[in-house]
Amino acid sequence: MKKIMHASLIIFVTALTLIVSCKVEDGEDGAPGADGAPGQDGNIGDAILTTSGFALPSDAIFIAPNANDGDNITDAINLAIFDAFTAGNSGGTFVLPKGSFVVDDTITITNGNGLTLTGYGINETKLDFTSATSSDDAIRFEGGIDITIRDFGVYEAKKNGIKVVGANGVHITYSATVWEGELNNSNGAYGLYPLNSTNVLIENSFARGSADAGIYVGQSSNIVVRRNVAKENVAGIEIENSFNADVYDNLAIGNTGGILTFDLPGLTQAFGGNVRIFDNQIYANNAENFAGGGAVSIVPPGTGLLVFATSNVEIFHNEFKDNETSSVEIASYFLSDDDVASYVVGDGSGNYEATMANGWSPLVKNVYLHNNTVQRSGGNPRGVLISDIVAGYTLMKGETMPAVLYGGIGQVLDDVGAIAGFGLVPVTSAASERAAAASIDLSYDGYSASEQICASNNFNQNSAADSIDFPDVNIGQVYTFDPTTPDLASDVLQGNTVLAVCTQTRLPIARVTFKSKVYGCAGDDLSAPSCSL
Amino acid sequence: MNNLSQILLVTILSVMLCACDLSISNSHSSNQNNSGKLNAGAGAPTFEAGDCNANTAGVNWDALMDKNCPRLSDYNLFKLASDPTAQPNSGGVPYDLSVQLFTDYATKYRFVFIPENVKANFNESEVLDFPVGTVLVKTFAMPENTAFRDGPELIIETRLLIHRPHGWVALPYYWNPDDNGTDAELAALGVDIPNMSTIHNGANLAFTYTVPDWTACTSCHAKLSSGVSTFIPIGPKARYLNKDYTYDNSYTVNQLMRWAEGDILEGLPVDTTTVMETIQFNDSLVVSALTNDELNDAAKAYLDINCAHCHRSELTLGEGYSGPAGSSGLQVEYNREYAADPTKFGTCKVAVAGGAVDYPYDVIPTDAARSYLLFRMNTNDPRHRMPELGRATVHQEGVELIEAWINNLPVASCSPQ
Repeated sequence: MKKIMHASLIIFVTALTLIVSCKVEDGEDGAPGADGAPGQDGNIGDAILTTSGFALPSDAIFIAPNANDGDNITDAINLAIFDAFTAGNSGGTFVLPKGSFVVDDTITITNGNGLTLTGYGINETKLDFTSATSSDDAIRFEGGIDITIRDFGVYEAKKNGIKVVGANGVHITYSATVWEGELNNSNGAYGLYPLNSTNVLIENSFARGSADAGIYVGQSSNIVVRRNVAKENVAGIEIENSFNADVYDNLAIGNTGGILTFDLPGLTQAFGGNVRIFDNQIYANNAENFAGGGAVSIVPPGTGLLVFATSNVEIFHNEFKDNETSSVEIASYFLSDDDVASYVVGDGSGNYEATMANGWSPLVKNVYLHNNTVQRSGGNPRGVLISDIVAGYTLMKGETMPAVLYGGIGQVLDDVGAIAGFGLVPVTSAASERAAAASIDLSYDGYSASEQICASNNFNQNSAADSIDFPDVNIGQVYTFDPTTPDLASDVLQGNTVLAVCTQTRLPIARVTFKSKVYGCAGDDLSAPSCSL
Repeated sequence: MNNLSQILLVTILSVMLCACDLSISNSHSSNQNNSGKLNAGAGAPTFEAGDCNANTAGVNWDALMDKNCPRLSDYNLFKLASDPTAQPNSGGVPYDLSVQLFTDYATKYRFVFIPENVKANFNESEVLDFPVGTVLVKTFAMPENTAFRDGPELIIETRLLIHRPHGWVALPYYWNPDDNGTDAELAALGVDIPNMSTIHNGANLAFTYTVPDWTACTSCHAKLSSGVSTFIPIGPKARYLNKDYTYDNSYTVNQLMRWAEGDILEGLPVDTTTVMETIQFNDSLVVSALTNDELNDAAKAYLDINCAHCHRSELTLGEGYSGPAGSSGLQVEYNREYAADPTKFGTCKVAVAGGAVDYPYDVIPTDAARSYLLFRMNTNDPRHRMPELGRATVHQEGVELIEAWINNLPVASCSPQ
């Protein structure tokens, strides 16, 4: 190990020498590089690679390259940023050293433009924020265009791990945010946390131990979250009030809820939609809910996937195993706040009138669930929010908890015209345009065919042995279509009579444009197996 | 956290960065005259390369415009380099605000320096539109006893906000005790000062005071739009400047009117009664004696100056712009009507990021004790503390004000039945 470090140090020193001399041809302008072919980086042959294969450019800024394990490199990081940014360089590659280091204050990077913050690998560079006293977020990017975050891990952040707010172009890869040890509410909140951003790509990363969401994308648009592992968080992966998201080929395991999509009231980006969740492995998300509070504290332990008041969601080809409450839960906001009369008063004083004017809706519409497989679902159903429902299915009806559970009260109220008054709230033109662009129906005139919750071609994957302990693999609906007799309906997963066995128009592919390149199923993953589903 | 020798290292490196471009800056004569112009003879930047070592008679405008000088005295802002609390060189005007950001009970000395022959433009709702060249100078001092702010104090730091041709930049200067109060040094990496103390209401408060690092400035001083964070000042808005100030211990006049008459502000409405104005809040205000309207006014002003630099969105900031916490849904600008959307002030709103057991909503009208917003103001746990930066102590008077406000709000659906 030491030898390897030594060798890379020599290369580093060489690189520094090259920078200092300033006149070295780097090949970037097409002129011959120092020892390379025309148009290529002269150092490519000697470049230091991260464990993920990222070649550190010759003009990279190496932060504390001689630091030893356990050193506090806070000042070195801030100094490198200060020097570069005050010298007008907001687009450099900043390289965190190899090893495990202490950082005790928030690192803030503002208006990076093509900036890369990298370590030597997800397990090679660890930043430990345990001793931070005044900090909240571990690393925070504010504003910025085409920011790359890669090849390091953030440990024990006081609040959030890596937050990116207000950026256009965020690429997080081979990065980790981790709270080790027992899962409890003193762990930090969000792990990988892009917010209020466009063109967000999170891949090949790892989040563990978050007391909120491990991988969270909020109030953003054009999002790809793929090939990550979210383990033992309250919410593994969460997409909130966001548009055009593809979440695929991830492993969500051991969380309270594996993958969530929420539309919460009262936010600046009042609603989202067009979220595709596919080809994920969603296993054993049975951690007790250890959130300290906030929206995710309602998530029932044992939840594979939860759609909460988000419309236009397509859930397909996911593999659900061993989720002890329900594999898929779909609910309107009335599940959380059933004081229907308080939503809209008509004079603007209702609890949700203002946010509804901005396009938020408590309803969940057009969720299309197809080609998913379910195995051993509902082995120990629980959760404060749904304890009555659990008791109803398991004790009163004597069934296995439904593998797919639909809280249909919103649809019932809408179908019978009980919330037609919601439709009288004047929606701003900006919100109407946004909804129209995303084909989201903000009306309160009953569910049309295109607004139905559809389930078709989902498969019971239980083995014969599994079937002894899990005799039913059902779809359940809380509230039947007769509002006077609320009931807990249920029927088999395949060919059920509870939800419409229908198909919906496939949702559009999410595209992330980063440094002029398109990522996702319409871009670099065009031929990936996930993208042909 | 920050080792002083490393701060010096930054300073040295920064000087080296600047050193490539040496030239001599023009000196400016500083004729004092009594024409009533507040910045008469102040001089102005030439926008030639500045020099931290230039020996200027007045303010070293050129260095301010393009150099991050290692020492505060390099900019020659004050007649006495050792005293940033008084006697600005020509162009500097002292001011204060009707309500201020809480910073661990520190006393703040504020000056605005505006070059000769340019003026700030009035803005009704946002920070005044200060011309390029403007420097906002704020010095933080810890009084021995907060009851005697004219008494002994420790000068801690001086922050500059400089309006350069390419935008605002912030430079923090630390009055390192090693310099015996002669000068302050650029502290880009911030400084933690343990064992800070003050006596407040007879009790000794001891805490670690943090001079924030340079990169943290944008955590508050920013408006965000898609992909871009723009640096902006916070305090000098018309509504906070719209109060009397006593100049030179001799005459008292409304600050905005003085600025207008002194030729550093234009566009002030002729009818100054139309200019927004807030109640004056300070630690000696007796909250229980406030009328309902005064309480609402004081609470909104307090939330505005302490929270709304982050917790704001659009409104008068501009379409598509928000503060750094504009996404949280909590938006508490002074010029936002509470009744138009109580949720924006946290009423019955679930915390989006965060949350704590026992505090189900940000604000629960009539139940401050269970309101998450108040809890966050009242804790020093970095996981929950608000504001995130700039305090290590709880502002007891602020907590008392907001507690009274929440308990006095109209009942809402989440209020106790």
